[in-house]
Amino acid sequence: MPLDTSTYALAHLRLDGRRWNELRRLHAQISTQAAADGSSYLEQGNTKVLCTVSGPQEQKGGRGGARDQGNEAKVDVEMNIAAFSGMDRKRRARSDKRVQEMQVTIASAFQSTLFTHLFPHSTITVTLHILSQDGSLLAACLNAATLALIDAGIPMSDYISSVTVASAPSSDQSLDEMDPLLDLNGLEEQELPFMTVGTCGRGPGGGEEKVMVLVMETKVQMARLEAMLSVGIDGCKQVRGILDGVVRSHGKRVLESKVS
Amino acid sequence: MTSLKRSHASTSTGTTLSSKTYLRTLKSGKVQKVVRELYLRQDIPCSSRLCSACLDLAPGGFHRRSEPAVLSATPSATKHYPEGHYLVPDTNAFLSAMDVFEIEGNAFQDVVVLQTVLEEVKNRSLPLYNRLIALTKNEGKRFYVFFNDFRLETYVQRDAGETINDRNDRAVRKACAWYAQHLQQAAKSRKSARCPAVVMISDDKDCLRKATGESIIASNLETYVSGLPDADRLIDMVAASSEQRITKEGRSQLLYPDYLTISAMLTGVKNGTLHQGIFNVSPYNYLEGTVHVPAFDRSLIIQGRENSNRAVSGDIVVIELLPKDQWKAPSSKVIEEEDVGKNESAEVDEESPEGIVSERERRALQDEVKKAHGQSTEGQKQPTAKVVGIVKRNWRQYVGHIDRDSVRSRNSDSRAQQTVFLIPMDKRIPKIRVRTRQAGELVGKRVLVTIDSWDRESRYPVGHFIRSLGELETKGAETEALLLEWDVQYRPFPKTVLDCLPAEGHDWKVPASTEDPGWQGRRDLRDLLVCSIDPPGCVDIDDALHAKKLPNGNFEIGVHIADVSHFVKPNNAMDKEASLRGTTVYLVDKRIDMLPMLLGTDLCSLKPYVERFAFSVMWEVNTNADIVNSTFTKSVIRSREAFSYEAAQLRIDDRSQQDELTQGMRHLMMLSKKLRAKRMAAGALNLASPEVRVQTESETSDPVDVQTKKLLDTNQLVEEFMLLANISVAGKNFEAFPQTALLRRHAAPPKNNFEELSNQLKVKKGLELRTESSKALADSLDTCVESSEPFFNTLVRILATRCMMSAEYFCSGTQAESEFRHYGLASEIYTHFTSPIRRYADLEAHRQLAAAIEYESLDASLQSKSKLEAVCKNINVRHRNAQMAGRASVEYYVGQALKGRVIVEDGFVMRIFSNGFVVFVPRFGIEGLIRLRDMAEDGEKEPEGVFDAENYSLEIKGEKRQAKVELFQKIKVKISDEAEKSTGKRKIKLQLVQ
Repeated sequence: MPLDTSTYALAHLRLDGRRWNELRRLHAQISTQAAADGSSYLEQGNTKVLCTVSGPQEQKGGRGGARDQGNEAKVDVEMNIAAFSGMDRKRRARSDKRVQEMQVTIASAFQSTLFTHLFPHSTITVTLHILSQDGSLLAACLNAATLALIDAGIPMSDYISSVTVASAPSSDQSLDEMDPLLDLNGLEEQELPFMTVGTCGRGPGGGEEKVMVLVMETKVQMARLEAMLSVGIDGCKQVRGILDGVVRSHGKRVLESKVS
Repeated sequence: MTSLKRSHASTSTGTTLSSKTYLRTLKSGKVQKVVRELYLRQDIPCSSRLCSACLDLAPGGFHRRSEPAVLSATPSATKHYPEGHYLVPDTNAFLSAMDVFEIEGNAFQDVVVLQTVLEEVKNRSLPLYNRLIALTKNEGKRFYVFFNDFRLETYVQRDAGETINDRNDRAVRKACAWYAQHLQQAAKSRKSARCPAVVMISDDKDCLRKATGESIIASNLETYVSGLPDADRLIDMVAASSEQRITKEGRSQLLYPDYLTISAMLTGVKNGTLHQGIFNVSPYNYLEGTVHVPAFDRSLIIQGRENSNRAVSGDIVVIELLPKDQWKAPSSKVIEEEDVGKNESAEVDEESPEGIVSERERRALQDEVKKAHGQSTEGQKQPTAKVVGIVKRNWRQYVGHIDRDSVRSRNSDSRAQQTVFLIPMDKRIPKIRVRTRQAGELVGKRVLVTIDSWDRESRYPVGHFIRSLGELETKGAETEALLLEWDVQYRPFPKTVLDCLPAEGHDWKVPASTEDPGWQGRRDLRDLLVCSIDPPGCVDIDDALHAKKLPNGNFEIGVHIADVSHFVKPNNAMDKEASLRGTTVYLVDKRIDMLPMLLGTDLCSLKPYVERFAFSVMWEVNTNADIVNSTFTKSVIRSREAFSYEAAQLRIDDRSQQDELTQGMRHLMMLSKKLRAKRMAAGALNLASPEVRVQTESETSDPVDVQTKKLLDTNQLVEEFMLLANISVAGKNFEAFPQTALLRRHAAPPKNNFEELSNQLKVKKGLELRTESSKALADSLDTCVESSEPFFNTLVRILATRCMMSAEYFCSGTQAESEFRHYGLASEIYTHFTSPIRRYADLEAHRQLAAAIEYESLDASLQSKSKLEAVCKNINVRHRNAQMAGRASVEYYVGQALKGRVIVEDGFVMRIFSNGFVVFVPRFGIEGLIRLRDMAEDGEKEPEGVFDAENYSLEIKGEKRQAKVELFQKIKVKISDEAEKSTGKRKIKLQLVQ
């Protein structure tokens, strides 16, 4: 197996044998924990996330506190990265900057997609447990949270689906030719400039399509951004289709059990 | 409760999921378990033109370009495979015989490189991997990389208990089987009768046996090559296969101690019991090497063949310190391999009863030991170590000649295989044993070989022959030899590079209309009186100058440099080639350009009377040569005249010339003297190196005479302004890009570098060398004079130069700002800017300066610290190699000029050994060794020498004459040339004349 991304230029095959526009295996289940109001389990390749939602419930920490937003529900995200999830056993403090940043990103994305105005003076808590990490962590968390929130029955305008895109040189003759790569694994993420895209809505006929999340921490040349973004949005649509399938098959099963 | 079930439904059709788990050990000793996914697919093409099914299979990349099939439909046939064949070599085939695969012509075409093999090659040797990748890019060779580990049918899961090598072998066999079956199908569907065979190449016996069992066509490399039409020539290039080596192992004793395991070395280095460093062999004594390790101030000595344990000069080794009672003093004796190991036979090496250290070698070393013990001063001894392991071999290709004595049958028609010794040109490299069938033909030729291995039972490394460069002593062969030896890229520029040149060719002109995009951001300086001053016959004119008196009494000075970055855009093929070459290499009769001729000598060159694009640095300076302000701009200039140094000097000195151009040159001269004085006051060093010019006959370029280079004031004029421009640009670039400016620094030499020289001066001449700062050194060098001998000062300067560090390019973000200093020039910051035609560093500096003045945006490659570091590393090496090649070329021509002549000249003693001394002859810039043995007349015994290490003197007590030689002494030497008997090689010989 190749050890770094430089072989991509040879045959347009990535480190794990995928082509540029292929997602990893995405497997998801909902209603995995009966005790929670909503829950989901999602695997994107070897990135595995368990998500539970509790709420909407009365706001913690006393009524009328400084953080009470009054007429709409507040989305709280807690993220728990298991010490065994990475290659090295490493405990991450909850105050870790990167974790905090992801929490804020996820919270603010759902804050505007959920119909929070229906639940004044309340909190919706999303808890994410990361069991295994292999790239696209933020994207997997967003997807898992979407499913769990649907399971919890909280009304929202559409799925938030998310995916990562990178830019890799596609030939070693000239540096200008870059291929966007979809859904990165851990190794690719370390070597290539990438961003996480999250969209909401299906576009024409299925409601307005909006980019809800766009996070990029690496440098990339301006000219390459457009191709990356369009491939990313397209990837989000594919993810949305898979998530939709999971929800529908679950719904079908629930209905069938009710009928019989 | 719901249970979590893993579903194995794949997300896209045509792929199947598998995963791979393995353990790896990090450098820190930590063990990691890595789990990676693997998506197996069926759309990876076989890439044979025979197969129509695969053609439209591959989806290609984002840009939707599908790649054409690589392998020919009608591959060449051989004796064994009459219907044509595709080759599938295994890893060892590439590792041991990459040269064979690279051969031009009909052999070794249509090769399938399996992913398994490619990755193994990459793990084992990066240079070989890069050569293999280059082969896959070469359209004529038709090498195709087949990603067998990603294809469903050819993927092989490692079984429990199976070694990784066995698994890889199995993967290769499976891929071969698949290919054979796939091609048969393809041939059937095409109804073609011919179906090429798929031939696996492996030297592993076990693998070959299994292959036959699985009915895969397989062959070892030697059998395969012997079936080719050109077998005789090719078979030498195939390294002695491992099979042969195994049979030998049985009967021969192991001469060398085994290396430690990698983990033992790593732990040892980590906890400080072992040390790691680069093994350097002394040019005077092939049995003594040094390794510099960070833990010790002085280099550690490694003495003797057993202690150096198969390390070759340049290898990165791990060493263990010997107990203190085995410490030695550095050798004071010259030992050359040619003398000591003369009678060894390449063939019978294994049976020789002597062990590793032959009797003669032992005697040579014993003298050493005796002396080391006898010495009263303990301080003479230095830490001594032995090699216990090799981290990285640094073997390259070596140029040398076949030792005539080791050839069994001199009959040039003999095709019998025999083992001969190759004596490398580089004295520090041991003899190499080479098996060849063409020994008779190769005697007396320059040959290129490579080392394959050095096993414990072999006294010398084993290598194989690559090609012959031609007769010894011929100009062509010797020039090519030294270019290869110093790794100078001398092949003509490939077409992709020439395609980057402007389409107009020599007719290219500066656009007439100033509206043209080429004029954008350029200043029109065509009315300035610019001229260039260069060595006579110079065609690549990098720089031109002008000076003008301003109404306020100040001067305007301009340095105009060829605007190469206008023509060479970052990252195109030409830029890549230039960055590889790094520099133009000047040999006596030849110039190996960094850029194609059209640019170097015409379009970029600031030729007189024509308009050229330039990059100008302009200053306003006052009469004291202090800079008032400076500007940088891209410009268009028209040089009025191209002077040689002599012509410029004459013009300046000629009082009758009063035109404006000459006036300007006089201003320049006046200011340059002031600049120089200022620089000297700041502590710049005036160093010397023995430089000579070889005068050649214009027609045949045969050398006729040798002259030492003359220095005129105009040389210094140009130098001063180039330094000024370089310093100004360095400052500007650093200000604009504090992290990524490409600069040049010259580190202050460590104090103990000068220890020996300063001690020698004190003992012999009573002079003191102060080295605490460059200023102190410069001043004390000025005091090292001897009124009777003007050359003595130059000699000291030459010796002092050898104690210095070498200057290097670096990227500003990698060093602390205090480390930027250029010691020799006594400047806080420095870069190279003024010769972009012949140095790549200057071209990069141009690009950075252009971005700093916002003329154009900076390319991404110049913003990345890691990329710049890689560029610096390469050009540092190239720069040094170019110098070495240049020197070697001068040396060769000096030798040719002296051919057949006998001259008596003055020489100076530079270094004294116990059995000889080194003499430097300033007239020819040559340095030669006179051994006691050489002083004996015919039939006479070697004179006795009494060596006094503390007073640096050697007393010679011969039968007929007595003499005493002291360090720095001026002596008369007779210079003649002599053809060596064993090699037929001509050598300059020095003899002491009383």
